[in-house]
Amino acid sequence: MVPPQWYLLLSAAVFCIGLFGILTRRNALLFLMSVELMLNAANINLVAFSVFWGNVTGQAFSLFTMALAAAEVAVGIGIILVLYRNFKDVDVTKATTMRW
Amino acid sequence: MQLPSWAALGPALVLALTALVLLGLDSIDPDSTHSSALAGISALGALSALGLAGWYLLAGTGQASTGGPILLYGDALVVDGMSLFFSVIFASVAAMVIVASYDYLKGRTYQAEFYSLVMLAATGMTLMASSNSLASVFVSLELASLPSYALVAFLKRNEGSVEAGLKYFLIGAVSSAVFAFGISLVYAVTGSLLLSDVASGLVDAGDFVGVAGVGVLLIAGGFAFKTASVPFHFWAPEAYEGAPAPISAFLSSASKAAGFAVAFRVFVEAFPIASVVPMGIDWPLLFAVLAVVTMTLGNFAAATQENVKRMLAYSSIGHAGYALIGLAALSQGGPNGQVMGASMAHLLVYGFMNTGAFLFIALVEHWEVGRTFEDYNGLATKAPVACTAMTVFMFSLAGLPPFGGFLSKYALFYSAVQGGFWWLAAVGAINSALSLFYYSRVVKAMWIEEPSTPFELESKPVGLYVAVMFAAVGTLLLLPGFGPVVETAQTAATALFA
Repeated sequence: MVPPQWYLLLSAAVFCIGLFGILTRRNALLFLMSVELMLNAANINLVAFSVFWGNVTGQAFSLFTMALAAAEVAVGIGIILVLYRNFKDVDVTKATTMRW
Repeated sequence: MQLPSWAALGPALVLALTALVLLGLDSIDPDSTHSSALAGISALGALSALGLAGWYLLAGTGQASTGGPILLYGDALVVDGMSLFFSVIFASVAAMVIVASYDYLKGRTYQAEFYSLVMLAATGMTLMASSNSLASVFVSLELASLPSYALVAFLKRNEGSVEAGLKYFLIGAVSSAVFAFGISLVYAVTGSLLLSDVASGLVDAGDFVGVAGVGVLLIAGGFAFKTASVPFHFWAPEAYEGAPAPISAFLSSASKAAGFAVAFRVFVEAFPIASVVPMGIDWPLLFAVLAVVTMTLGNFAAATQENVKRMLAYSSIGHAGYALIGLAALSQGGPNGQVMGASMAHLLVYGFMNTGAFLFIALVEHWEVGRTFEDYNGLATKAPVACTAMTVFMFSLAGLPPFGGFLSKYALFYSAVQGGFWWLAAVGAINSALSLFYYSRVVKAMWIEEPSTPFELESKPVGLYVAVMFAAVGTLLLLPGFGPVVETAQTAATALFA
């Protein structure tokens, strides 16, 4: 059996890749993909430690996470569509009618 | 007569049912023009939920007097004094927002969707206050967030609304991913998602204390987003400024209170101070730092604004800082129930005065008066009643003595001093004094300044007036009624620590 520390390292790596994507990407769709990476990092932990602890709580919760991620993308794509209609672009830095 | 135990979830069930009825009506008749019927159904749903929650709270459902918390669905949900107290806040804010939206939505399409999204978000918030497992916390948090994103971007041809919705969504998506990762780390260490089992699992975390610490930190980040606290606060000014004003009221009052409800329960139940602080996971210290930074940043930024709605958005960040004292001024053996209860009572009073202030902005937007302080000059000569209500909200938010906000801030700072956190109370008091500057600017503009151009207010929107007056009466009644409120809140919070 693979020691649990390796799973933690893997998920932390995936999480950091996602975080890096969020900080560097300006395209709203790539931004969403980076968020998906971060959520899947959580799923790796949940599934791996579900086996480690011998209960299915983690596996069941990872299904919830996936369903919620899908719901979130559905709402997000809708918002990105109206963003494109109003600003003619999906660049998240273009929408600046209000000052920060 | 003994009600079945699931009936304890009544407020959430009524809100969810109302949302589904509205969605059903919308699919039968998508082009419905019966806006009063739609608003009536939603208001009825919110008021019945308010009635149920208030009745349960008074009858002592889920409290020590009737046999303690009611656990449901494999302990994933719990109904106790705290969840009912917060249900009262959500239902009353939802009712005010719905009544005000009736006028705000006049002539717009997709009204049924609007109301059902508001009801769904309110359902999610009510469930957040009842969540007893990290799984139900996450699911209900998303149920509250997803409709909110759509509601902020509701004016889909308005650039400001779309931009606000985008920023709210992007930051919300990141913070929910951070939150989920935090949950997964806590699960990795403890092997459970139930709050009580997490607490017992943390005791023998062994070599994994560091992992658990990171998990707690990430979970705190998720709550910081929901409550609009530093470091995840920067969506708030944009979202509140760009969103339709009734939605700004809903998010800044109810959604913030929901974030605190769930943070209170998770941190007290899953990460008890007595066992995690000696392990080096000192979350009260983390929240103390966040509270000081949040209130200072919110108040200083609010003082520099020219736009009234944006000023209120920053003031709402400042108030998140005050409410964070309820998580910061905790210590082992301290008067923790008192501190947290005072923070809950402040959130209730805040629910009325802040919702009222944002609904006044909705009223002004309805009249198409401008958005800056100068545009408000002389407004009181045309609308004295509404301006009186706004004056009550402003002074109450600032914490001046004859209003509800004074007592709730006093109770909060007093309990913090009792817990030995006098410096937190001092920072809070200094910030309140500063906040009087920008709140009184609004009052001065309305009552003292002369209007630069004479304005005509052609209509008297009944729904908006009713909602603003309801909030004003609530703010005033909470002055004599504050004693029982804070007592209920402190009893509920003390039960959480037991």
